[in-house]
Amino acid sequence: MDNNIEKRLQSLRDRLTYLGDIFAGRHRNNTAMLEEKLAAFDANAHAGSCEDPYAELATIEDMFAYVERRLESAITPMDRVRIVRHPQRVCLRDILENVYDNFTEVGGQDEHSLDPSMLIARAVITRRRGKKIYMQSVMVIGQEKGHGAEFRNGGSVKPWGNAKALQFMKVAETEGIPVHTYIFTPGSYPVEDYPGAAQQIARNLYQMAGLRVPVVAVISEGGSGGAEAIGLADRRLMLSHGYYSVISPEGAAAIEGRLKNGERATPELIEHCAANLKIMARDNLKFGYIDRIVQEPPLGARPWHFNFFRSLRQEIIRATDEVIISTRKTPVLRGLALARHRKPEADLDDLHIRWGLTKAAKARMLHHRQEKFLRLSRQAARDRRPFVKKSAVAFLDWISTPWLSFKYDFYHKHQRQISTLMEEINNEFEMFKKRLLAPLRKLTSNLPGRMDNKAKELTALSLWQGDSRGRQWNYISPRYKIDRTLTCPNSESYGCLDLWGPDLFAEFAGVCTHCGYHFPMEPEWYVKNVFDPRSVFEFNSEIEAGNPLDFPGFSERIAQAKAKTGTKSGCVTFEARIDNIKMVVAMLMGTFRGGSVGAAEGYKFVEAATRAAKKRYPFLAYVHGTAGIRIQEGTHGVIQMPRCTVAVRRYIETGGLYMVLYDTNSFAGPVASFLGCSPYQFAVRSSNIGFAGPGVIKETTGMDIPPKYHRSYRALSRGHIQAIWDRRQIKANLKQALLTIGGRNLYYR
Amino acid sequence: MFDISKLLDAIKASPYREIVIAAPHTGRITFADIKQGDVVLGRQGQWKEKPGVLLATLEREHNPKPVRAPEKGEISLVHKNLEGQYVEAGTPLVVLRHMLTRDEVQRIILQKALYLFRAPERAKYYLTPEADKKIRAADTHSVTVRDGMELFIMSRMKREAPLNYAGPDGVIYEVYFKYNENMDVGSPLIGVCPKDHLQLVQEMIMRVQTEWTEPS
Amino acid sequence: MNDHKILVANRGEIAMRIMRACHKLGVPFTAVHTAEDAASGHVLLASREGGEKSLFRVSSYHDANELMSVADEAGCTAVHPGYGFFAEDFRFARRVAKRDRTMIFIGPSWKIIRELGDKINTKRLARSLNVPTVPGSDRPIYDEMEAERIAKTIFEFQEQQGLKRPLVLVKASAGGGGMGIEEVYDPDLFRSVYRRIRNYALRQFKDEGVLIEQRVTDFNHLEVQIVSDRTGQNPVHFGTRNCSIQSSGLQKRIEVAPGFASETLEYTFNAKKLLTDIVDYSLAMARKVGYDNVGTWEWIVTRKGEPFLMEVNTRIQVENGVSARIARIKGNDGVDLIAEQIRLGLGQPLGYSQNDIGFEGVCIEYRLIAEDPDNNFTPWVGRIEHFHWEDAPWLTMLTHVSNTKPYEIPIEFDPNLALAIVWGKDISEAKTRGTAFLDSLRLTGRNSAGESLKSNAAFLKANTERILHF
Repeated sequence: MDNNIEKRLQSLRDRLTYLGDIFAGRHRNNTAMLEEKLAAFDANAHAGSCEDPYAELATIEDMFAYVERRLESAITPMDRVRIVRHPQRVCLRDILENVYDNFTEVGGQDEHSLDPSMLIARAVITRRRGKKIYMQSVMVIGQEKGHGAEFRNGGSVKPWGNAKALQFMKVAETEGIPVHTYIFTPGSYPVEDYPGAAQQIARNLYQMAGLRVPVVAVISEGGSGGAEAIGLADRRLMLSHGYYSVISPEGAAAIEGRLKNGERATPELIEHCAANLKIMARDNLKFGYIDRIVQEPPLGARPWHFNFFRSLRQEIIRATDEVIISTRKTPVLRGLALARHRKPEADLDDLHIRWGLTKAAKARMLHHRQEKFLRLSRQAARDRRPFVKKSAVAFLDWISTPWLSFKYDFYHKHQRQISTLMEEINNEFEMFKKRLLAPLRKLTSNLPGRMDNKAKELTALSLWQGDSRGRQWNYISPRYKIDRTLTCPNSESYGCLDLWGPDLFAEFAGVCTHCGYHFPMEPEWYVKNVFDPRSVFEFNSEIEAGNPLDFPGFSERIAQAKAKTGTKSGCVTFEARIDNIKMVVAMLMGTFRGGSVGAAEGYKFVEAATRAAKKRYPFLAYVHGTAGIRIQEGTHGVIQMPRCTVAVRRYIETGGLYMVLYDTNSFAGPVASFLGCSPYQFAVRSSNIGFAGPGVIKETTGMDIPPKYHRSYRALSRGHIQAIWDRRQIKANLKQALLTIGGRNLYYR
Repeated sequence: MFDISKLLDAIKASPYREIVIAAPHTGRITFADIKQGDVVLGRQGQWKEKPGVLLATLEREHNPKPVRAPEKGEISLVHKNLEGQYVEAGTPLVVLRHMLTRDEVQRIILQKALYLFRAPERAKYYLTPEADKKIRAADTHSVTVRDGMELFIMSRMKREAPLNYAGPDGVIYEVYFKYNENMDVGSPLIGVCPKDHLQLVQEMIMRVQTEWTEPS
Repeated sequence: MNDHKILVANRGEIAMRIMRACHKLGVPFTAVHTAEDAASGHVLLASREGGEKSLFRVSSYHDANELMSVADEAGCTAVHPGYGFFAEDFRFARRVAKRDRTMIFIGPSWKIIRELGDKINTKRLARSLNVPTVPGSDRPIYDEMEAERIAKTIFEFQEQQGLKRPLVLVKASAGGGGMGIEEVYDPDLFRSVYRRIRNYALRQFKDEGVLIEQRVTDFNHLEVQIVSDRTGQNPVHFGTRNCSIQSSGLQKRIEVAPGFASETLEYTFNAKKLLTDIVDYSLAMARKVGYDNVGTWEWIVTRKGEPFLMEVNTRIQVENGVSARIARIKGNDGVDLIAEQIRLGLGQPLGYSQNDIGFEGVCIEYRLIAEDPDNNFTPWVGRIEHFHWEDAPWLTMLTHVSNTKPYEIPIEFDPNLALAIVWGKDISEAKTRGTAFLDSLRLTGRNSAGESLKSNAAFLKANTERILHF
């Protein structure tokens, strides 16, 4: 038997194993039939009793292809998860070899890399126009699963791996070459070692929101935070058999089933979650979170599917060209070029478009990218504002924007000059007056009776309005009504005595008087005690959290949360003042479904950032608590990560002061994006900050973590946050921060 | 120095310690489902982060507080007659027969090898804030002491006085006092390992680690 | 009264006095003790004279939860805090009054404790009633220019008063207990001291407010004993005390009633008028706040006879015995201020007016303490072997230390051993008797190092000569 047959036979055996694996034991009759045929041929071929082994082999191969095509229609969402995780699936190196014409790995080699699961390469695409040949460089960045190689860690990237990706994105920006990212990750590796999983993803997102080169992302396995770390792109393509999800179906099942550590979710529950999370390519295309699907061969692309690589090459070039073309200023030329590119029969290898951009074009590209993300997912939140109100808001917006820009950009600048002049005139006058009155003053100071004034001043009651020492809090936790004592969690090591509830929750503001441990307080406590009384004005309260995926049983749970908290979503946005400094605040409430962020919360956050930018107010994100992205909203939730980060970046770039204050527990998506990207982050004492909780870390990495792993002081040592504040000092510290960080102009540079 | 083998043999001859678990404060006691002869576990886990087995619940001022097994051991006595009763602070609740763990044996032996700085007076002792902070942040080994260094605060009669360490330079290996605990005159406060003893101490630890088998 | 039961939330001598007062009033009581303190006299007394559920072992006297828990278990209806521990803790008083099972706090109501516990508040209240206070600011100063101006005024004011060495005191307004206080003798140094204290206050208390006052030196420490019932409308005083003989750490060692012997001794000022003045001032303030139990107004009196109100102690004091000893209600002696405190605390009306209260003789209280007066009054710890004195009708001995068995001094509390209260018909008789008592005293013991006991008896004797002189 010749080598060729043996090779093809091996390939068929692989396809057979693959079939068995991805269907997890289903469709056994089909696989059994193929197995039988294959075994028969194998036996015959070895015995040399085949008349025409090539023909027979071809028949079997056809049979395989037929069965694969037939089973293609029976793929469940969970099968897709198994497909993308299968060692036989195409991986980034296959793509580099087959889609690009040449490449050099720059981010390390094999296991000799800062993080072998993050692969970076400079690659070249060669195109022709007529006889002329053009070489176009790109920076390829993506997770490498390495066909199951252990050291690749399944494409689960460590924080420093994401940092490496960011480094090379910046290189690409300097060189002005496009970035192609390939997302092959089940999720980021959730360790808090420097720079910290969440913090690094946040940095990546923030930088990508303003990266001044075209970015095209291709998603095969898009597992939440790990995917977003390189996923904020101008064009997002998705392989037809991939998934893009807020969390792995297993993780979702663990949360849905409320499993404690060690317990395993049943396969049915996992399947149920996979089906309801709407993780497939066509779902995401419908939602608008991806731009295009790259069709794979039946049952998913494997390295021998050369046609697939060809179409992927076409698609990736098309996407990059489209980004370039859409920055063109002249609408007619742009339309023509786009139409030409979108023709399915167009061979893009024969069309050349320069991938460099002018400065103005880069700005337009950025604008498109940011607008694109800001538009996403609005439909997933329920905007209950009546039509009249919405129109009124829009109208006001239209009127006030020019007025505000006049007020701040023109008037304020000149007003300052006027007041400086006035001040100088005043000074001169004071000096003059002093000199004039000097002889008179000398005379009166020698008169008797001044001594009585002194005694009077030193012994009589002085005027004093500012006695705020005995001040009670404006709001006290209702728990103060319960006559019971509570034990401080630190009592064992610090010897704290039990605290009496009515003292603790009222006067002490939930702080252990002995060790300073902060018991969690209600969100209202902060709203009423941090900001000036009666200065809080809530807006957009009608935007409601819903159940955009119709996740079974979730509507009731959302309704419960609304009834419990009295708010319509987990994010409350309001304008408020601190000692008369106006600001916009977005508060994520830990009491509303754990403070998870879904489409409504993201919507409100983006609106709040926009409002702050428009009104030139500082913007504070007060995180009373957040458990992460609301998994029951699937990608509607996860898309809030890039979306809100874009909003924040826009706000900061227009000169805003964006501060984040973490309290209680803040984890996962929001920390890894729009919160973690703030240059000024603070935490309230006794809070925890991190990417994934201990249970998830144990589940994904097998590591036990020390008990104080997520404490805020570790985040402080790592450089994630800037300071840890006492709850009772939040108001003073915020004011101090506003005055010092915001400078004289408070928020606007 | 001294004979480790002899000491180890002596400990091996009676490897048990009786632990009396008493009510930490007043309150009404409810025993958990335990009985004489049960074997209970103390704190578990790499960082002792998992609490010991629940022995009883002591409720005072509507605050039920768990009373847990501090160490692994066999319950030799449960004062079940107290069930549902109001107990005074310090009332014995449960007696455990505890077989010395490797760490405890190590501590016993280390006490012989380390330089022990002893309490000059009966008083409460605290470490100076700097040392305390260091130890809380990392562990005891992080603090190096020098002769004459101000290391403790001695508190008695509501008066606090600084206390200087006297003895060889080295690192603190063990701290023998707890927060708010009265220490008698002459009881050891800290065990210091002088620099040149480090090797020896490590060897001793190795010996205990290998020779002492813990009951599974 | 008989329906009540009182939790004695204290230890030692004061616990014993409270229990005896309860006994006198026919009110049952419950006492507490820690394991360390099992040999204290108050434990013996409670087990001897207390009824059912009258003694509980607790983990700490400082743990309010233990006290509440014991009170509930023993069925107490009122709590007597004694002095120290929770006596001036308005939160404790508030908890006693506001918990689900409410009790009576034997002391002023918690709002009064809070109001008079704040020194700035007390000072402002005094000034609003024209009660003299130490010259200086009566509110925290936050502004450096203003602080300098006030300091300058205080310096000039003292010069005008003829003081040779003017002193200004700068202290953190949120501070207390002697922390964050500094003296300035040179106006040019004020700014740097001010900044230091301000930064210290900001670090320690998160409040950079600073108080600036004249530093008064060379003064006598006087007190006015106020008693009022729950109506708060008709406070009376039980005279004045002089507590000027103190240890180097400014702790009282000898207290005398009355405050000055204006009839027999010569003073540089009109002592009689001064005593009347401070009593009137104190009563005016008590009336203003509706003071509703016993309390002490503390004064400093300069050599020129100027009084300044220092603070108000909203509790029974250690030295209440000297005032009681010289007081006569409707001509009767045997006044017991602690019994009065309990009686009034439980809601009974006062039952007499200021006109019914008279005074007779002079009374000295010695605080007998195991300490070394030659060595900065360092406490001596060890075992008392012999403790003996000669009883006399003019002597009241208050002690929790056994005079029959050896006693180990516990280290967790103030090292007071005994209070000796000596009465005489006039100052010379009181001094003679005081000296006689100290001479008769036998107090010996050893510590673990074998050293013999040190006590302040010699210091007390030496200072007996000085009393009431100024």
